[in-house]
Amino acid sequence: MTAMDALVRLSDVTKQYEDGKSPAVAHVTMNVGQGESVALMGPSGSGKSTLLNLIAGLDRPTSGTIRVGDQELGTLSETGAARFRRRQVGIIFQFFNLLDDMTVADNVLLPAQLAGVPAGRARSRLDELLAAMRIEKHRNAYPARLSGGERQRVAIARALVNRPPLLLADEPTGALDSATSDEIGELLLDLNNSGQTLILVTHDSALAARYVKRVIRIVDGQITVGVPAGSAA
Amino acid sequence: MKAVRTALRGGLAGRRLQALAIGLVLLASAATATLAAGLLVDSDAPFDQAFAAQHGAEAAVTVDPQKAPAKDLAATARVAGVTAVTGPFAQATVGATAAVPDTPGVVFQAFTLAGRSSPGGPVDDIVLSSGHWPTATGQIAVSGNLGVPLDPGEKITLTGVPGSPTLTVVGVGNSVTDTADAWVVPAQMTALGTPQTEQMLYRFASVGSSGAVNAGIAAVRQALPAGAVLGTGSWLTVRLREAQSIAPWVPFLVAFAVIGLVLSVLIVVNVVSGAVSAGTRRIGVLKAIGFTPAQVVLIYVLQVAIPAVVGVALGAVIANLLAVPVLGRTATVFQVAPQSIPLWIDVVMPLALLVMAGIAALVVASGAGRLSAVQAIATGRAPRLSHGYAVHRVLGRAQGLPRPVTIGLAGPFARPGRTLVTLAAILLGAIAVTFGVGLATSLDRVGADVLKTGYLEFGLPGQPGQQPSPGQPPPAEQQAAMAAAIRAQPGTLHYVTEAADQLAVVGMSGTTEVTAFGGDASWTGYAMISGNWYGAGGAVVNTAFLDATGKQVGDPITLNDDGRSATLTITGEFFKLGSATVMTSLSSVEAIDPSGLAPQVYVVGLRPGVHGPDYENALFATLGPGNYDQITPGSTDVLSIIGGLVLILTLLLVIVAGLGVLNTVVLMTRERVHDIGVFKAVGMSPRQVIAMVVTTVGATGLIAGLIAVPAGIALHHAILPVMGNAAQTGFPPAIYNVYSPAELALLALAGLAIAVAGALAPASWAARTRTALALRAE
Repeated sequence: MTAMDALVRLSDVTKQYEDGKSPAVAHVTMNVGQGESVALMGPSGSGKSTLLNLIAGLDRPTSGTIRVGDQELGTLSETGAARFRRRQVGIIFQFFNLLDDMTVADNVLLPAQLAGVPAGRARSRLDELLAAMRIEKHRNAYPARLSGGERQRVAIARALVNRPPLLLADEPTGALDSATSDEIGELLLDLNNSGQTLILVTHDSALAARYVKRVIRIVDGQITVGVPAGSAA
Repeated sequence: MKAVRTALRGGLAGRRLQALAIGLVLLASAATATLAAGLLVDSDAPFDQAFAAQHGAEAAVTVDPQKAPAKDLAATARVAGVTAVTGPFAQATVGATAAVPDTPGVVFQAFTLAGRSSPGGPVDDIVLSSGHWPTATGQIAVSGNLGVPLDPGEKITLTGVPGSPTLTVVGVGNSVTDTADAWVVPAQMTALGTPQTEQMLYRFASVGSSGAVNAGIAAVRQALPAGAVLGTGSWLTVRLREAQSIAPWVPFLVAFAVIGLVLSVLIVVNVVSGAVSAGTRRIGVLKAIGFTPAQVVLIYVLQVAIPAVVGVALGAVIANLLAVPVLGRTATVFQVAPQSIPLWIDVVMPLALLVMAGIAALVVASGAGRLSAVQAIATGRAPRLSHGYAVHRVLGRAQGLPRPVTIGLAGPFARPGRTLVTLAAILLGAIAVTFGVGLATSLDRVGADVLKTGYLEFGLPGQPGQQPSPGQPPPAEQQAAMAAAIRAQPGTLHYVTEAADQLAVVGMSGTTEVTAFGGDASWTGYAMISGNWYGAGGAVVNTAFLDATGKQVGDPITLNDDGRSATLTITGEFFKLGSATVMTSLSSVEAIDPSGLAPQVYVVGLRPGVHGPDYENALFATLGPGNYDQITPGSTDVLSIIGGLVLILTLLLVIVAGLGVLNTVVLMTRERVHDIGVFKAVGMSPRQVIAMVVTTVGATGLIAGLIAVPAGIALHHAILPVMGNAAQTGFPPAIYNVYSPAELALLALAGLAIAVAGALAPASWAARTRTALALRAE
């Protein structure tokens, strides 16, 4: 994979929250190809979630450039970044981040509605995703009534509703038991197998070994090594 | 206590905006409430003190001595309800001239003279400010309220009586209800040889209302032969007249004060409940490290009390500053020292507000004291409410509305209690806007009437009845020249002459202003409150006249001067501020006082499109300098001050209501900061965030605005007559009907505007919040 083929390209990216302190991410350069699945691994505070936030456009780098597809994130306004998040990325969080006062269907539909997708098209995509995630029967339920695994399935459905080229997952199994974690892992693997580009943040080396093709290790904000997933442990 | 102080400092530092909101709302409330209460107390205080000290006459009854012999008059002392009586005193209305140093040619057109052997008595104990009471014929004591500085030793010549006797002023006194302009010994009245009436002065058991006084007067009237009572006067009329310079201020100040008070309670409740709700974890920590429930409650009450004390203190200071120009006007009424807001009002009103705010804070904060420490720390925030989910669901399916808007619309249902408080705050602010706009427009229209903007007035030089100055033509020539010049102006649509005189009205002491028009004056556009413009033999009068005489439209009135009289029928009540006034046709009254009622003013209506100053310049060129006076319209200073105060108070309450909204939205965005992070993470743009947050209170504001319009109009219609009553006037419909459909439509949006203005700052803050940071928030 050349840099030109990559879907995600980071070049010398640094993120420093406070002057005089160590950067959370320092001089990171990396590429993620179209259809690839990559795990960002490292100990707590290593900067992996910060890196994911930067790729998601949730935060801005202090220096360096980040490109996702044709879009250079550093040049985007706040509104541009919001549009980017709607269309180009889907994000899955450790604690799901579902909206308690909205039903499963409304949570999933939200990004499509914000993006102005016609209602009919959004509904059919909703049906398709609920079926794929096997949560159709919870369509009108509120998140508080669902199990952890079901909530994460809803979160994945929400992340995919606008068919983003890039799926980002921040510790997607961190709040789940091992059986449910496996289910979610399988689901992500299936998605990747169907062509979905996936960047996963995890400190679970077993999950990384089983469900992604490449592992990037981060320590103190710097990439130490990028290896095939099978050799990550 | 040190621990409480430390915790309190932390709480205040984190809630500067809420502290500002509390301080401002209590400042506004304290200022309006203190000013209103101060004026309310001061408007009557000087008169009441003087009235009590002088055993003032609660009713003055003028009787015909031919019909009521002395024994009948004496018998009225035994009428039920009469507690004291003085009289009969012979009474006559005469003309008078006085020689006063530095004030040449003092003429009293109608001078009410009463014959009394002493100033004292059970009723109307006249207080002498200088000299002594007359002890013989040739002496006279004058009222200190004549408007001319007469001192003992000066001379007064009575005119219109045989021999025109000259009397020496021996004393200056004051009758608190102005029962006469001057007093002489009874023998002097006999010596005058002029027709006289008799004056009886009464005090009654019950005099708290006009109805009670009128009942007393009716009982006296019934005890006398039919037709014996020629006229009556009530102490309440005098009291009202004395208080009318202040009294009109009170009703609208009370209205604004009440709105401010309610807003204060709402905002205190909202701030404290929000602080408790948002600070649940903090409360848990405080309790876990040893704070007692009472200490926790104390911390939250003090968070309100500190800005509240500052607010009410500043409010009291502002009230006293605002009172200076208002109360300064009363200083001369009873020759008393300049009045100020009584100290006890300065203490009681702010204190009452503090107590009220404290109770509101205490009630809400006691919830914080009861919170379980473990639960508070564990949840980190108030228990998540599950209100409004169904609304979210329904609105989520709404077609045609952007999703951020539907999310915002569902927002108020999540916390119905807070929404109701916010609705009430916006409602009160919007009511203040509708009320304030209406009141300002009404005052403008009153001002336009005072300024007589519909026409021009030109006066002849000199005074009626006086010889023209050297070089000036005789009055008849002046009148002819003026009339010819006006007729010759192409801009003249129509004109009418106006003569003004002071004539006596049977049943009233002193004289009354009479305006007599020489032609059709109906076009001058005096607004009618009731009845119709006068025709032949008729007259229109203002409210002050009806109040002073107890007459009604349809009743006859008798005007007289130097023994000549004319009886007219009141055909209508017209709108005019100030003293009692009669308007009629010149032909109806000119025979009473031909020289005094000579046309002196020319009222000119201009053709459409004619510019007033151009017309005046053309008339000036025709008549030449010195041959006419441009009549300066009446002053609207007081109206301007009231209008300015209305504007300031309206703005203040709108700002306070806006701060209430701001407080609500800040609480909401702080509570939902994590959700806002999620919205942004899934693609909500900054503009969409602003739209969502603003919509959360926008709908509430719109509803409040729609309710506020009829409520504000109702308040306007309720307060205006009270103000009018205080100023001794009714108002014509045009003063009430001030809201045009376009204005109503705009006023209906006032609530929305307050909501949007209050929500914009926190909405922008929410839009700018870093998404990654918001997602990490509890």
